[in-house]
Amino acid sequence: MILRIARKEFVELARDGRFRASAAVVGILMVGALAVGWEGWRDISREHARAEADSRERFEGQGEKNPHSAAHYGLHLFKPKSSLAFVDPGVDPYTGISVFVEAHRRNEVDYRPARDATALERFGDLTAASVLQVLLPLVIIFLAFPAVAGEREQGTLRQVLSLGVRPRDLLLGKAIGLAAAMGIIVLPAVVVGAVLLSRVGDDAGAAWPRAAALAAGYLLYLAMFLAVSLFASIRAKSGRSALVALLGFWILNTMVAPRLATDLARRLHPTPSALEFASAIDREIREGVDGHDPQDERIRRLEEELLDRYDVDFVEDLPINFQGVALQAGEDHGNAVFDRHYDALWSTFDHQDAARSALGFLAPTLAIRSLSMGLAGTDAVEHRAFAEAAEAHRRELVRLLNDDLATNGADLGFMYQAGPELWGQMPRFRFEPPPVAGTIARLGPSWLALGLWTIVAAAAAAWSARTLRID
Amino acid sequence: MLEATDLTKSYNGHLALDRLNLAVRPGEIFCLLGANGAGKTTTINLFLNFIRPSSGSARIKGLDVVEHPLETKRHLAYIPEQVNLYRNLTGLENLAYFAALAGHREHATAGFLELLAQAGLTEEAARKRVSTYSKGMRQKVGIAIAAAKQAEVLLLDEPTSGLDPKASNEFSELLVRLRDRGVAVLMATHDLFRAKETGTRVGIMKRGRMVALLDTAEVGHADLERIYLDHMHD
Amino acid sequence: MLARIMRHEARVLAADRSLWALAGLLAAVVAYGALNGASWAETRRAALEAAAAEEAARFDELRRRLGSPGDAIGVGALEVGRSSGARYAAMPPGLLAALVVGQSDLLPSYVKVTTDGRQSLDGADEIENPTHLLTGRFDLGFVIVVLYPLAILALSFDLLSAEKERGTLALVLSQPVSLRQVVLGKVLLRGLLVVGLAVAISMVGLAVGGGASGPGVLARAGLWMAVVAAYGAFWFALAVAVNAMGRGSSANALILAGIWLALVAVVPALVNVAVKAVHPVPSRAELVQALREASDEAQAEGSRLKARYFEDHPELAGGDVDADEYAVQALAVQEAVEASVRDIQGRFEAQLARQQAMVDRLRFLSPAIVTVEALQDVAGTGAARARHFAGQVEAFHESYRAFFRPRILRAEPIGPKDLDAIPAFTFREEPLPGVAGRVALGLAGLVLPAVLVGAVGRKALGRYPIVG
Repeated sequence: MILRIARKEFVELARDGRFRASAAVVGILMVGALAVGWEGWRDISREHARAEADSRERFEGQGEKNPHSAAHYGLHLFKPKSSLAFVDPGVDPYTGISVFVEAHRRNEVDYRPARDATALERFGDLTAASVLQVLLPLVIIFLAFPAVAGEREQGTLRQVLSLGVRPRDLLLGKAIGLAAAMGIIVLPAVVVGAVLLSRVGDDAGAAWPRAAALAAGYLLYLAMFLAVSLFASIRAKSGRSALVALLGFWILNTMVAPRLATDLARRLHPTPSALEFASAIDREIREGVDGHDPQDERIRRLEEELLDRYDVDFVEDLPINFQGVALQAGEDHGNAVFDRHYDALWSTFDHQDAARSALGFLAPTLAIRSLSMGLAGTDAVEHRAFAEAAEAHRRELVRLLNDDLATNGADLGFMYQAGPELWGQMPRFRFEPPPVAGTIARLGPSWLALGLWTIVAAAAAAWSARTLRID
Repeated sequence: MLEATDLTKSYNGHLALDRLNLAVRPGEIFCLLGANGAGKTTTINLFLNFIRPSSGSARIKGLDVVEHPLETKRHLAYIPEQVNLYRNLTGLENLAYFAALAGHREHATAGFLELLAQAGLTEEAARKRVSTYSKGMRQKVGIAIAAAKQAEVLLLDEPTSGLDPKASNEFSELLVRLRDRGVAVLMATHDLFRAKETGTRVGIMKRGRMVALLDTAEVGHADLERIYLDHMHD
Repeated sequence: MLARIMRHEARVLAADRSLWALAGLLAAVVAYGALNGASWAETRRAALEAAAAEEAARFDELRRRLGSPGDAIGVGALEVGRSSGARYAAMPPGLLAALVVGQSDLLPSYVKVTTDGRQSLDGADEIENPTHLLTGRFDLGFVIVVLYPLAILALSFDLLSAEKERGTLALVLSQPVSLRQVVLGKVLLRGLLVVGLAVAISMVGLAVGGGASGPGVLARAGLWMAVVAAYGAFWFALAVAVNAMGRGSSANALILAGIWLALVAVVPALVNVAVKAVHPVPSRAELVQALREASDEAQAEGSRLKARYFEDHPELAGGDVDADEYAVQALAVQEAVEASVRDIQGRFEAQLARQQAMVDRLRFLSPAIVTVEALQDVAGTGAARARHFAGQVEAFHESYRAFFRPRILRAEPIGPKDLDAIPAFTFREEPLPGVAGRVALGLAGLVLPAVLVGAVGRKALGRYPIVG
């Protein structure tokens, strides 16, 4: 019986010109968005890989010099594109692509692509994610709002129910029919997406579980919209008022809530200004150990400590190069300052994002947005993972170079020079995105919000089917 | 006063009205009888210029309704089967608006209440929102609107269908009063009894054509019903 | 007659609770948008003040040092030019900045200018949660471009269809009024209400938000109102045209929601894709590489470069022999690097200019794009003013370096007298006629489609099926 109803619903839709038109438009937009996104993804990935290799080559080819000078020469790291960024580029246009790694300083990840774009970028890119989050729910509303209200107005509902069909079966049948119709719209994009993902390269293995979780998230989201639409269709006075209410729900979710949440989050947890942030770090670093300044009080204390430990009288008699130790001491102090400030900054961002997640319980589109970006590896947290990895790499590099200076450069001071073999021994940077299990777990509140919405909407629809008004 | 000359309306080859010729003089009530889809409402819509004739012409006071859409409407009043009013406004406010649209500004509230009272609506009812009205009450507001306009032509589309017998009777009395004042009335109806009682002439329509034209004074109730059914049978 | 229809419409609308809800909602979002914009403008102003304070403190410290006996001969020009004497080039928020956040959260409004190379000007990014940047702000720009059309459509998607469905239309048109008059009356009343509300509250917000006084503020406010009114007119015209097709209310709502989504979201995104595909901006990764390469080469050339540098700047190769070796080398490298990346830097700017030109042409495809650009222009938070600022910063950077270069090369310290001579930046506002010209073009891009759609609607009204 239910399948019979589903089939009727599906056939009816398939014959509807409006359905075909919207299916074609949405299908083309989604496949097109995937294709454009993938091309951009491929170009940028290649470019970044090339640039990073070039930077490394230059670092290794810098010839004989003091290891600390090599640390100053530094190198550029480029943020690799996450495998699923072609589905949802997330915050990628608004985070930098490259960070300069050098001694003493933690640099920002620079060059936000959005700065090299026109104001149109702010309307949002055409991406598979935006089609799934914004356009498809609208199509669901268009198709589902007359499901019950329309039949009621035509008078066919009276006839159907007079035949002894259980209202809940009718509803379930309609839901399945509509879901099948939506499946037809999405299918080409899913196939194209899967084919593209299989051509992503080395990271494809790690990307599949993420893609599966992403698909599950969107399935929940779209099912939720279907359930809400059917609920409205059952409860509304007329098809017209069902439509108006659903459009209102859609607008609040997709247009109003994201910006409202942004401003609310910013109000609750203000972001410091760049100037404030930078000058606080500057001040605290200046108060610490300056490895370059032999007059520094703390350097003298460090010196005395070392002289005591090795039981010698002069710095020149130390079995190690004092410069290297002093520089590393300065570095350690700076790192502590950086950690303190960046942790505070990131925790501000975390609080802001937590506020956004909390609002996801009110507006499920917020939940799918964070879920989608998180799983695609393009949200602020994944960006932070890159920034931290780059910073860890910087510290390791600088420490190894300072250590070399300290252990091998005894009694030569700054005259000590190392060669390309040392530069070649330096570890290579490779960014491993956080494991998928951790990402899924971290997005817990969003999963919960989406799951709750879906369950409550489905239950509400099923419950109101029991008291279905006939006219 | 009301005049149709070879008035024809076709929809995609289907003739809804076929060369109708008709003249209604002042002080006359002309009743259009016929089955659903016979062309009665089409005739009234053509006089209202709500639809364009395919050929022929409809005139009110000698003016073609297509060429003078606004001028002709100054002289007519229209009461549809369902007098639909603005539900969130009171009967009084509705009347005031329609009177204003008709270009009559001289009425004060008292005047409007008077008109509504004449149509049979108490002041208390007149000050209630239309959403609380019964069909008969809305019909009364419709009559008051027509009366306020002091129209010389009245177009009625099954005005008494769905009214209870008492309301229906009151409505007929009103029509007679207007007729006596010299108004030309064109009324589409299914009610043979009322047509005979109040009408001066009766036209029976079938598939867009006027198949019979009778003077009510010359036929009895039974005759009218027999003639009507005869025409419907073949 | 029109006035009577409008009066009646007002009464009908007023009797309906949903109008009050809608008007309340619109008022609330407009007010909230104005509030958010004002607080953002305040934040920006505070950031500029903090920068100015930091600069003043640094100069005070410098002055104190120069006054102390130890440093009486002065402080090295290189040190002053690179850090202690750095100047901020700042673009204050525009007169109407509280109305639109625009690009001002992305494009920096102050830059620290030092004697470092040209590319040091590019790196200044404000700290922000990237998700905020991605989402955008709830400012009046958003309210006007996205939500205001929805308020208009919610009030007029059933302009005629509702009257037809309720059956009142036939009775109205049996009176001596034309359908066009009725429609015009309805639209005018709704227009007065919605446009009036949007304009009035935004102006009140602006006045309360403060910071809005100065020459040209009235002209700009006038332009703002004109854009808001013209954009509203377009959506009303569209609602009339869709109603004139004679479909039911639900169909109208569907069609209008579809058109709204297409114009406000889909077309801009497609134009964005097209613009980026036709005029791709070169990769920043490439620029990073080029900079590296250029500076490696310059370093390698070493003394040769220095010699050539003095050939290029004979005025600097004074008799003084105690020119700072390191400083000369640094300047020579800097200049060489700048010369060799000028091409690629130019390519960025040229491509961006081409993109902007293409957007300027294609914006007429969607009134939403036209409105966004026009509102940002009026408020001074768009790309145009940012470019205007960037040009001034570059010129200032040149004059700043021109002040320090000879002193660095001649190893001439900065003394107390020189301190006040260090160039300071003053922002020159974009001339109003230029802004007005651009906005006027945008206005034409709103009025023309409004008139066109309105004419189509007017024509279709002539065939409107009043019955059946």
